Amino acid sequence: MIEIKGITKTYGKKQNAFLALDNISFEIPDGTTIAIIGKSGSGKSTLMHAMSGLDRPEIGEVVIDGENILTLKQRKIDAFRATKMSFIFQSFFIQPNETCYDNVVLPLEIAEVPRAQRRAKVEAALAAVELTDKIKSKAANLSGGQKQRLAIARAIVNEPKILFADEPTGNLDSATGEVIEDFLFNYSKKNNATLIVVTHDADLANKCDVQIEIVDGKIHSTKGLKKSVRKGAEL
Amino acid sequence: MKITDTIRRAGRSLRQAKARTLLTSLAIGVGAFTITLSLAGGQGGRDYTDAIVKANTDVKELSVTKKQPASTGIQEYNADAGAASTGPFGGQNVETISNKDIADIEKIDGVESVTPNYAPAVNYITTEGQKKYVATISTFSPSVTLDYAAGSVNGDLKDNEIILTEDYASTLGFKSPSDAVGKTVTINATKLSTSFAAEPLTEDYTFTVKGVSSASGLAFRSQGSILISSNQAKTIYTYINEGTSAYGKFFLASVRVKDANQAESIKTVLDGRGYEAQTAADVLGTINTFINVLLGILLGFGALAVLTSVFGIINTQYISVLERTQQIGLMKALGMSARDVGRLFKYEAAWVGFLGGAIGSGLAFVVGTIANPFITKALDLGNIALLRFDPIQIAIVIVGLMLISVAAGIFPARKASRLDPIEALRTE
Repeated sequence: MIEIKGITKTYGKKQNAFLALDNISFEIPDGTTIAIIGKSGSGKSTLMHAMSGLDRPEIGEVVIDGENILTLKQRKIDAFRATKMSFIFQSFFIQPNETCYDNVVLPLEIAEVPRAQRRAKVEAALAAVELTDKIKSKAANLSGGQKQRLAIARAIVNEPKILFADEPTGNLDSATGEVIEDFLFNYSKKNNATLIVVTHDADLANKCDVQIEIVDGKIHSTKGLKKSVRKGAEL
Repeated sequence: MKITDTIRRAGRSLRQAKARTLLTSLAIGVGAFTITLSLAGGQGGRDYTDAIVKANTDVKELSVTKKQPASTGIQEYNADAGAASTGPFGGQNVETISNKDIADIEKIDGVESVTPNYAPAVNYITTEGQKKYVATISTFSPSVTLDYAAGSVNGDLKDNEIILTEDYASTLGFKSPSDAVGKTVTINATKLSTSFAAEPLTEDYTFTVKGVSSASGLAFRSQGSILISSNQAKTIYTYINEGTSAYGKFFLASVRVKDANQAESIKTVLDGRGYEAQTAADVLGTINTFINVLLGILLGFGALAVLTSVFGIINTQYISVLERTQQIGLMKALGMSARDVGRLFKYEAAWVGFLGGAIGSGLAFVVGTIANPFITKALDLGNIALLRFDPIQIAIVIVGLMLISVAAGIFPARKASRLDPIEALRTE
């Protein structure tokens, strides 16, 4: 369960202040797929950063499994991200000079997974995105779709319960994009993992259980939220 | 993140920028090369001085002179000093050691014996059927190590025995050093007190060649000088100088102490009584000071090279951080702590230092090992290698350079660890 309670984030100071997130609140049950939609600059990426503990809003709480991650010490948040959540980005952020194995094993190293278990986990993750035969290839030699599949393998290798995907198909053609989407939704379904997709692609958003539209840092509309709890002052 | 994983990842990042890593390391390598060579030179130099001192002096022996008056300005004439332009010490007043001084020194507790340096000024040396050649005579000391080209001496020389040098052996017409051993040579001396008489008195002394010393690069004293027993030197000295003003006045005397550990304390006693004494350690110290100064200069150059390379490391690591902004951002997003990110870059710097140290020291070792025989030959050092590499020293150099590199990497590493992952991962 992820509970977002009254998150507010301001950039800049005094007269230049810009309200990126304005009193956002919602709840997501485990295993749900959510799309956070909105135009660029609407604050949807900022919301994702706040939910993952990368950013610290001044006001509000992000409660994951009963713990407000915004009040945790930096080391605890790091450990939290290393073990419980993962990310997929529009521009993949894979290391082109490294092999697929070395790319995928990184989260396991960060989470200090014992060395003996790593190989099997990496192989399983690459198998899940159908890149088993590329394990020794350099990431630079992969196609765009394969690179994003590699990024997914890296994201799921440590079996996170929460998966953030920031415009995961933004750099891909629609056919390849759909394959990527399938991998993401499959992972969520199989592992009862929460999938949070930040996108402005309406088709992708429609595949999610819940849609939250952000306009100017506020929740503009929601779709599929079972309980409309504390959605924000205006709603 | 486990430290081994961080170290491996750091090594891998460097391998991905091979040329850059190598060039940065080479800068350190220059320093490592210079430092390793100077340290090896220091080791070899100390070996060399050690050997020199063993070949020339004895730890139980002090060489003693009278303290000389300050030699600025014109000196007052002193009839007691070994003066006069005709005297053995040139046209200067020289404070000399008299027989009374010798008797005084002998009374000092711990002194075994005092032998003045006779060094008789003989006319020539010759052997049957050969020309006459000028010669410098020194006294043999059983405790000083000599290299023999032929023959050898056990214990002290007998009064009728002599040690020639290789040069004299061949000049005197012997086919080889071993040919000279057992042959007889003659030394001629003139009585100085009668030198104004119509016919000067001369005397021949005959010796059997006991050994031939080889021209060792280590010896100052024996080289070019013929050695006879102290007793015989005294006999010849007495014959030559008796009746002159210089008789019984010695510039130098060697004091033999009973225990090598007392050498230093006896030196202090002698100093208090108006003598200047030099122990074997002083001789070693003087030469070592010289070597240490040279070593210091070389090490300074090495340190300068290392300092330059430090800026190289800071520069490359800093650029590397900028280039890898996204990678760092990703690692942080995936939960890598700021400390681990900083470590990753520090370890990369350590790898660079290790590589540079290993390349530089390794190269110095190879070059030094190849050059050693040539240096030894060119400088005539005998069996001494001028460059002696000590594996522990090389290890210390490499570890030291790694630490310096890590220190150089602190600034870029801090920059990396403070990177904001959100900024780093913002897509353009």
